[in-house]
Amino acid sequence: MAHVVLKDLVKTYGSFKAVNEVSLTVNDGEFVALVGPSGCGKTTTLNLVAGLIPITSGDIVIGDRVVNDLDPKDRDIAMVFQNYALYPQKSVYKNLAFPLQMRKLPKDEIERKVKEAARVLDMTELLERKPRELSGGQQQRVALGRALVRDPAVFLMDEPLSNLDAKLRVQMRSEIKRFHQDLKATIIYVTHDQLEAVTMADRMAVMNGGYLQQYDSPAQVFAHPVNMFVASFIGSPAMSLVPLEASTTNGNIVLTGAERWSLELSPRNARKVARAATRKVVLGARHSTIKLHKSAVPGSVPAKAYTVEPTGDITFVQAFVSGAIVNVSVPPAIAVAPDEQIWLEFDQERMHLFDGETEMALEAD
Amino acid sequence: MSTTAETAARGQPRRRMRVDGWRWGGRIFLVFMVLYTALPMIWMLLTSIKSGFAAMQFPPQWWPDQPTLASYQKLLDPQNSVGQDFLRFFWNSLFVSTATTMLSVIVAVPAAYAFSRFTFPGRNFLFFAVLLRNMFPAVIFLVPLFILMRAIGLVNTHGSLILTYLTFGLPLAIWLLKGFYDNIPVQLEQAARIDGATRFQAFILIVMPLSAPGIIATAIYSFIGAWNEYIYAYTFLSKNEQLTLPVGIQRFFSENTTDFPGLMAASFIMSVPVVVLFLVLQRYFVRALTEGAVKH
Repeated sequence: MAHVVLKDLVKTYGSFKAVNEVSLTVNDGEFVALVGPSGCGKTTTLNLVAGLIPITSGDIVIGDRVVNDLDPKDRDIAMVFQNYALYPQKSVYKNLAFPLQMRKLPKDEIERKVKEAARVLDMTELLERKPRELSGGQQQRVALGRALVRDPAVFLMDEPLSNLDAKLRVQMRSEIKRFHQDLKATIIYVTHDQLEAVTMADRMAVMNGGYLQQYDSPAQVFAHPVNMFVASFIGSPAMSLVPLEASTTNGNIVLTGAERWSLELSPRNARKVARAATRKVVLGARHSTIKLHKSAVPGSVPAKAYTVEPTGDITFVQAFVSGAIVNVSVPPAIAVAPDEQIWLEFDQERMHLFDGETEMALEAD
Repeated sequence: MSTTAETAARGQPRRRMRVDGWRWGGRIFLVFMVLYTALPMIWMLLTSIKSGFAAMQFPPQWWPDQPTLASYQKLLDPQNSVGQDFLRFFWNSLFVSTATTMLSVIVAVPAAYAFSRFTFPGRNFLFFAVLLRNMFPAVIFLVPLFILMRAIGLVNTHGSLILTYLTFGLPLAIWLLKGFYDNIPVQLEQAARIDGATRFQAFILIVMPLSAPGIIATAIYSFIGAWNEYIYAYTFLSKNEQLTLPVGIQRFFSENTTDFPGLMAASFIMSVPVVVLFLVLQRYFVRALTEGAVKH
């Protein structure tokens, strides 16, 4: 196992910058998820680490070697592809043996390692089958086996679960997590599903438009998103963002909405708003940090219910606040009708404030 | 469990399609097409085992009264002059067609792979330039190519034919093969390269076996094209000992009056290599060889 360092990594296609000065360190034995919407550069970044495409500038270090110009085969990596990429003409056994044969291991050692990998992944009885005779989950397992049979320094995984059905995906998710814990493997895992990143990774790198937005533990990214993109991308349902205006009444900083209400802020939040470049401030809140009231209470703002979605144990209410949709969760016992006038109270401790111009999170100090 | 049963029940009527007028029309059309292609060949076979006199009779003998293999014996006998000529034409054709096929595969495989996998300046232009030749009827190039061949001293050599057939066959071979390579997921090569193969090894060990049906289809296509070609062979070659079968048969029998059983026997022997090629190689035309490689 080894650590991986990306330093000012850039990949351009003509004038299009697919990956923009991405720098991050993956520690030895760490599980890092690259997450972001499609086209954000996460798969390109992974392919750069794998050596499948040449880098434009920057450095990639695996272990203690700069691998910028090394062939994929010399980087001591293994990769699991989104579509598995099993060799269709080879049996499962030969698929698993291929990386070992390429490294010219003696035949008896190949057999021993393949059988061991098959045992670990519980597919000993599948060894003689061809990939097309396997189910999606089994193919996925073979792809994983082909990666681990060689004991590489780093595992690269490119959306390995996205082709599985929902139930199998949850099952494989915990298997991959278990696999990481048992092997203490260094894993770089690309996914567009923020839930996979949050549940599996030690740290997650959120990317957008080729830029690394935030690189931190899932809990930290969830609790302290650095900008509006990360705030809206991580968490399901997404964090609600309401553009408001900052103003001063009686010497206090308040936020005012389009319906002329004003929201007083805690001293800490007021300090944050004071640091905004302009008067434009965006209030961010997750559904669970908002309280729904049927009548005006101090510190609440008026809203109009739009849709009501019961999911069983909680009901989601989408309501308009100052022209923006806000998602609130309420116990199913509370009945809200569409178009009903309601009041929302935001938790001052857990609300997020963003600069309306720069879209960056505002800090108190 | 109940959902499975329901699906099966719902699937039943769809599988047993109603046999309506269109379906019958289609079947009758297919039967007609089979007769249309098979009858001339059957007649060829029947005529080839008749005597010369029986072949000329009218009304025709639907089944030969006295079947004889005399025509075949004559054609395949290296002792008499007819057999000598025929066998020489046969080997000439075999040589020209095999050489064309091998060269066309050797050139088309890397070319098609490059067009499919690499981006390089002028890629699209080159790809369409390759097809340009096929936008014109072959006859147009007859005189220019003849002049060209004479200038480089290839007239009356098999080389002139091989080169010419390549100009016809290669563009389509490249086009055909590129289609096959496009359908082989690039991730297979990437996986192989990560698994320790060089780019070339990934191509040889992983891509080549998967493109075998494509290569075989391309090879058969080139072979048949070269084997049957008449106009260029007729124009470029004038020496009797160099003729290929299509020209040879034609010339040979107009000289020896019209020996229909002999002509039909020669035609039958000429179609044997193509049929054998198909029969031997058809098992490689396995549908969806890459099935199971990747999940879509």
